[in-house]
Amino acid sequence: MAEMTVEQLADAMYEMIKEAKGMKKYKATDLQKAMAERFGADKQTCKQAIRLLMDSGRCIYTYFGGSYIEIPPDQPPAP
Amino acid sequence: MERRTDIGPPHYTKFLPPVIQKNYGKWKYHEGVRPGVMVHVAESGDKLYTIRAASPRLLSVQKIRQYCDLADKYCDGYLRFTSRNNVEFLTTKEENIEPLIAELEAMGHPVGGVGRAISNIVHTQGWIHCHSAATDASGIVKSVMDDLIDYFTGKKEVPGKLRIALACCLNMCGAVHCSDIAILGIHRRPPKVMPNLAQMCEIPNVVAACPTAAIRPAKVDGKDTVEIIEEQCMYCANCFSVCPALPMADAELDGVSIWVGGKVSNARSQPMFSKLAVPYLPNNPPRWPEVGQTVRKIVEIWVEHAEPDERLGEMIQRMGWPRFFRLAGIQFSKEHIDDYRYAALSLKRTAQVHQA
Amino acid sequence: MAEGKKYVTPKLDELEKGPWPSFVKEIKAAAQKSPMAAALLGQLEQSYDEKIGHWKHGGIVGVVGYGGGVIGRYSDLGDKYPEVAHFHTIRINQPAGWFYTTEALRGLCDIWEEHGSGLTNMHGSTGDIIFLGTTTDQLEKVFSKLTALGFDLGGSGSDVRTPSCCNGMARCEWACYDTMKVCYNLTMAFQDEIHRPAFPYKFKMKMAGCPNDCVAAIARADLSIIGTWKDEIQQDDEMIKKFADEGLDIQRQIVSRCPTRCMDWDGKKLTINNENCVKCMFCINSMPRALAPGKERGAMVLLGAKAPIVQGAQLSSVLIPFIDLEDEESWNDLKQLLENIWEVWCEEGKNRERVGEFALRVGFGNFLEAIGLEPRPEMVAYPRDNPYVFYQTAKKE
Repeated sequence: MAEMTVEQLADAMYEMIKEAKGMKKYKATDLQKAMAERFGADKQTCKQAIRLLMDSGRCIYTYFGGSYIEIPPDQPPAP
Repeated sequence: MERRTDIGPPHYTKFLPPVIQKNYGKWKYHEGVRPGVMVHVAESGDKLYTIRAASPRLLSVQKIRQYCDLADKYCDGYLRFTSRNNVEFLTTKEENIEPLIAELEAMGHPVGGVGRAISNIVHTQGWIHCHSAATDASGIVKSVMDDLIDYFTGKKEVPGKLRIALACCLNMCGAVHCSDIAILGIHRRPPKVMPNLAQMCEIPNVVAACPTAAIRPAKVDGKDTVEIIEEQCMYCANCFSVCPALPMADAELDGVSIWVGGKVSNARSQPMFSKLAVPYLPNNPPRWPEVGQTVRKIVEIWVEHAEPDERLGEMIQRMGWPRFFRLAGIQFSKEHIDDYRYAALSLKRTAQVHQA
Repeated sequence: MAEGKKYVTPKLDELEKGPWPSFVKEIKAAAQKSPMAAALLGQLEQSYDEKIGHWKHGGIVGVVGYGGGVIGRYSDLGDKYPEVAHFHTIRINQPAGWFYTTEALRGLCDIWEEHGSGLTNMHGSTGDIIFLGTTTDQLEKVFSKLTALGFDLGGSGSDVRTPSCCNGMARCEWACYDTMKVCYNLTMAFQDEIHRPAFPYKFKMKMAGCPNDCVAAIARADLSIIGTWKDEIQQDDEMIKKFADEGLDIQRQIVSRCPTRCMDWDGKKLTINNENCVKCMFCINSMPRALAPGKERGAMVLLGAKAPIVQGAQLSSVLIPFIDLEDEESWNDLKQLLENIWEVWCEEGKNRERVGEFALRVGFGNFLEAIGLEPRPEMVAYPRDNPYVFYQTAKKE
């Protein structure tokens, strides 16, 4: 499997979150584990990908008895 | 301006008075000077006086500025707060102690809580700011400390340290489970299931949140939801923490329980959990008189019976729980006997019994 | 800000009376300038009337990029008290040991008077400076001014919570290691873990300088670092004699209450059998200047304390019986240990499972193996007394 860039991992995470929206909320560890399984991604790159999603505003942290990563409400999906 | 992140707190050395910078790690001993005041003496011979004053923890910026005015006037602009939310003024000038105390007391902030004394009550937010509170925090703390003020200021002597803590629900942001006296807000009815639950919460998460498996998936009018097996509910409210559609609060049934005999210090005995003394007292704002009377009674038993420096839990171990319950006038009931994970450890498994 | 609407608050007014400082006076002082604080009084009085709280939890508000430090809070009576319909909390990482200059405190006050309710907690249960009550549009402004002042947000949610410590060597002769330095260094080393939640649940760290544990590390922190020493208690026989001469009954008050009976008093000289000493601090607390912790000082690292939710309360238990924490090597060991713990816990821990609960669920022995620590007798109160042993040999065959 080709090495995933941080940007590609972020896109893959974003898709995963989008598909589950309204049904399942993911924690950072869920995303990391999924990326490791699908692409063999390492933790550090996953961390960077999550940071990219957050700093760009495509995702936000939400919290309810724990912290989750979600797409912000009432906003058009990122390009 | 560039947005800065992850800078962390300011380095603590910026905030240390010069006498501390000079004698950091080189203190020789400390002792009480008078109630609420102690002196630390360094190997160099330097002396640092600490004046400790009561604080409600909830402070307006106006009050913090008043503290600052005092610290500027008497302490070269340095002060600190304690792990029990008192405020401490630090000075090398012995002559500043008297006028500083006078100004603090005039402001309504009594000085005390050092050494053998009852210090401030560590507490949570209660109805001021918390979603899961089963009682208020600040109101009870204010009422109990109004009542115990002489033990704080040293007007009345006590045998040693006694730590009181309050948490407004079992989440225990105040981690009251190792306090000499713990005041704990409690719910006493199972959660209500709101009709829109499935829109707000993931059902598998809600089911998994229950430690006694009292929540199971259900369908009502063809819609996914959960049902509560009410007799299995022990009112922990963990489900409400993960799902707001399961409210627990109840104006009449919520209230306060009182726990005794915990400690965190390792001196003499090992750290201990607090144990249940009174299973339920009503919420009775604004002053919760039942809570105040119960705490005072327990304090008085300790003051009368404890040896020097003996903590409440150590005293009860020595005298036995039967005698403690008798002295306190508390009816021992089914609720006092544990029935959760480590229940067996709390049963009396010896013939060594204090006959009451 | 203008003065807020005035509410009639007879129940709260009652709590302005009495000798203990009144939180109601504080809210009223803030209400002079803040309509939010005024509305808080109104809602709180209603809670006192109805005996029920009126706040809703959870949320999505925060500052850009961070998942920790801001806690969304909403009134369920927002129509009646619109000023507190949104009333978010900000946690600010306190300076180690809670020391301040008045200049820094005044800077914090100015920010909060302009952008929030003017109400604070000094401090929150975990140790942070708490700013109580503001709206979403103010969060970035507060954050930008805080960082300009040199402050940053603390933790919240499933992350490393703001570490806190006792005042240690700054003002205590019993500090067995530099708590404030260790607290500050851990805080700085794990900024990412504090601000960007990536764990199954919260992870708290507290540093106490000696076994008196003034910050309740053993009860309140997932990772508790508690000062201790290895060698002999330092004793000054002249000073001991002085205590006796001044009336301290050393036999009854000290010797007979030592938990391991490790000392003898013959009326003139105190003899300590240091091999049996468990470093409880009692005799040292009782005779300042006469007794002091030994010279070979360091700390003990313990793991797993928590409040009851959900499997029951736990105290921390020993992971590393003694670590020096002065040299670079032991500092790196500590950081590596934390990374190992988080790695295993993130991989296998359940949602909302604290690390102490996790370690017991998988078996403490297995947990040690996974984080790369050798089992040691210092870790247990006693070896197992049940014979159901998961023998490794049989499984490998």
